[in-house]
Amino acid sequence: MNRREFLKTAAIAGIGFSIPSPLDFLNNPCEAYAKSDLVVATGPNPTKITRAAIEAFGGMKKFISKGDIVVVKPNIGWDRLPEQAANTNPEVVAALVQMCLDAGAKKVKVFDRPVNDPRRCYIQSGIHQAATAAGAEVNYIDERRFRETAINGLVLKTWPLYEEVLNADKVINVPIAKHHGLSKLTMSMKNWMGVMGGSRSHIHQRIDESLVDLSLAIKPTLTILDAVRILVRNGPQGGNLADVKKLDTVVVGTDQVAIDSFGATLFGLKGADLGYVRIGEQRGVGIMDLSKVRIRKITA
Amino acid sequence: MKRLRLISQGLFLLLFLFLFFQTESKGVDELGYPVRLFLDFDPLILITTLLSAHAVAVAFYLSLIMIAVTIIFGRVFCGWACPFGTLNNLIGALKKMRSQPALGGWYRFKYCLLISLMLSALFTLQLVGIFDPLSLLIRSLSLSVNPLFNSGTRAVFDSIYDLNIKSIADVSESIYAVFKKGVLSFDQPLYRQNILIGVIFFCILGLNLYEKRFWCKYLCPLGAFLGILSRYALLKRSVSEGCTSCGLCTRECQGNAIADDMPGTNDLWRQTECIGCRNCDDVCPQNAISFGFRKQVRSAPIDLGRRRIMTSVASGLLTVPLLRSTPFSKRGFSDSSLIRPPGSLEEAEFLKRCVKCGECMKVCITNGLQPTLLEAGLEGIWSPVLVPRLGYCEYRCTLCGQVCPTGAIKQLRLEEKMRVKIGIAMIDKGRCLPYAHATPCIVCEEVCPTPKKAIWFEQATVLDRQGKKIEVKQPRVDLDLCIGCGICETKCPVRGRPAIYVMSVGESRSRENQLLL
Repeated sequence: MNRREFLKTAAIAGIGFSIPSPLDFLNNPCEAYAKSDLVVATGPNPTKITRAAIEAFGGMKKFISKGDIVVVKPNIGWDRLPEQAANTNPEVVAALVQMCLDAGAKKVKVFDRPVNDPRRCYIQSGIHQAATAAGAEVNYIDERRFRETAINGLVLKTWPLYEEVLNADKVINVPIAKHHGLSKLTMSMKNWMGVMGGSRSHIHQRIDESLVDLSLAIKPTLTILDAVRILVRNGPQGGNLADVKKLDTVVVGTDQVAIDSFGATLFGLKGADLGYVRIGEQRGVGIMDLSKVRIRKITA
Repeated sequence: MKRLRLISQGLFLLLFLFLFFQTESKGVDELGYPVRLFLDFDPLILITTLLSAHAVAVAFYLSLIMIAVTIIFGRVFCGWACPFGTLNNLIGALKKMRSQPALGGWYRFKYCLLISLMLSALFTLQLVGIFDPLSLLIRSLSLSVNPLFNSGTRAVFDSIYDLNIKSIADVSESIYAVFKKGVLSFDQPLYRQNILIGVIFFCILGLNLYEKRFWCKYLCPLGAFLGILSRYALLKRSVSEGCTSCGLCTRECQGNAIADDMPGTNDLWRQTECIGCRNCDDVCPQNAISFGFRKQVRSAPIDLGRRRIMTSVASGLLTVPLLRSTPFSKRGFSDSSLIRPPGSLEEAEFLKRCVKCGECMKVCITNGLQPTLLEAGLEGIWSPVLVPRLGYCEYRCTLCGQVCPTGAIKQLRLEEKMRVKIGIAMIDKGRCLPYAHATPCIVCEEVCPTPKKAIWFEQATVLDRQGKKIEVKQPRVDLDLCIGCGICETKCPVRGRPAIYVMSVGESRSRENQLLL
């Protein structure tokens, strides 16, 4: 985004703001254009803050249409308990599933390709139980359903990606914010490793470029960053409760770069400290500079 | 009576198979069913473990029930309950005519085998698992038949799926889903030696085509053990005056218990060979045969003869030094590739108890537990070894200790298990990407499960071919923290020989097999 574009966006957004509330319906298209918009919700109840954040962001109906097949993609990578903050908070996932169904989604699918044993990850994370109870279809990854997909990125030219994600009407990314030994932090852009087939661990050799390539290939409708508990050390797996920090926060947006850039601040870092955020902005995935992003903070 | 027996056999076989299919993780740390129940009832394992290890797992006292039942009713376990016996029965049903028993006197062989096994056990060599029918059955099903079944079923459904015709695939996939839920393993199970173990198993079953219940009549050491117990069993068969020596009962006898030439002579009835099938009673045209609790009926002895007993004793005795005098015993500790599951007893104690039933390998969540061939000596054949390149030890899983019937693998609480070292990881700097190839990689550290990671990084600046400086994180292993779970080796992206690998050195269970002071 160059300066002219930014000014244009800002101007349109400004017009949007200046519209008096009775004419609120005019706001929606403008808001959609001003895409670097984040809602940060804080409060003790993960379900409540998730709901409040989505409402403040325009409501689920704005993103999910009647009859949609929706994929909600949490991080279920590890055989860890919710309080160990290695997987996405199950209550956040369940709240999203519920909201999608309420918004008219025909089916909500929840899955991930874990690192540890899938059965243990799904159950121990609490996500299998919570998402199923909320009405989602929770299935294990079926190895036959990875499809070689053109990515045409800097590093990844093609890669087997999970068919269910490619076929879905809407995709919602719901990562957890965690420390990571190589990429420093893992949040929304890195969460797409969970739909990669093949020997995905090879991408660690050029992790930042690869993550940006992936983010260009998979475009989520919505991203919710779970920072109810964050893992500040010994990530991405953790295991020691002393490494977990309770922030009671979720961040909602559509711009993955902006979300990850904001996520970095939760750890006392800047977006620019993360290679994939820097490269992500350069390649037009989103906006890194938080001063250019409207951030609305609410409590619930 | 025959129908009743078939129902009983069917129910026991179904129970056995149900427990077998339940021997698999469902994501929680409990299995929910007593999956090793049949082994718990096996008195042969009880006795031999008592002899070899002077100890026995608590659940084995269930097998006292089997001893009591046998003393009262004879070998009814063999005829009415044993799942392996039932399988032999089933295969035997393919054979129509019964030829005259070509191996009549060879029924004694199983007693000789039993004596040898007992003698070896008495001198601490536990070989019973190789021949025990329940051990053999669970091992064969786990390591060979189940993988075969899974592979075949998956191949069928996968090829239908690959046809890519939606209407057909919809139907086949829904059937597949039922299979997956009910009987298929979560992942395709794969084991080394599946062919060897399978060939032995199918050969044993195939012998039924030579003679029905071949295994039960001539080979089974559990059958022999129960045979001895049933020598004076209270429930006896008696033949009345009405017998015309027509020989129908001899032909129908499943256990080789009735004398060929004089079926009507009570004294020649081999009670030790009778498995209580009651076929004789069913077929007798004169209704001359009856079973009941009587004292006065005498029956034929096992009649091994002094020479056979001496030979069996000697062979059992000699097997001990024969199998033990290997180069392994020189070092005093086991091979570094012999990574035993967490909770395993010290190697010598482990071998005294392990009955090679394969339960731990069946339940292992990553398929990393594999049967040994000669890594633990011939004595330890088919005992469990972790092969990290195939699968690692899941940090928060304790299933192998839960299913081990003899306590060779102790049942550990989760907190204990997470502290047990089964080995330590070593880095091969000649292959590791950040060391050898100036290429970033952190996979081993990422997957390391200890709360404070046992793999840490040394930040290093290396040069590439153009002389450009590249920052890499070179992994190092903290020998105190590493538990040897092997996930680093499983997940190491260096194909073939991994750049990080686990050895049994440093394992908690051994005093000798250590690296550090």
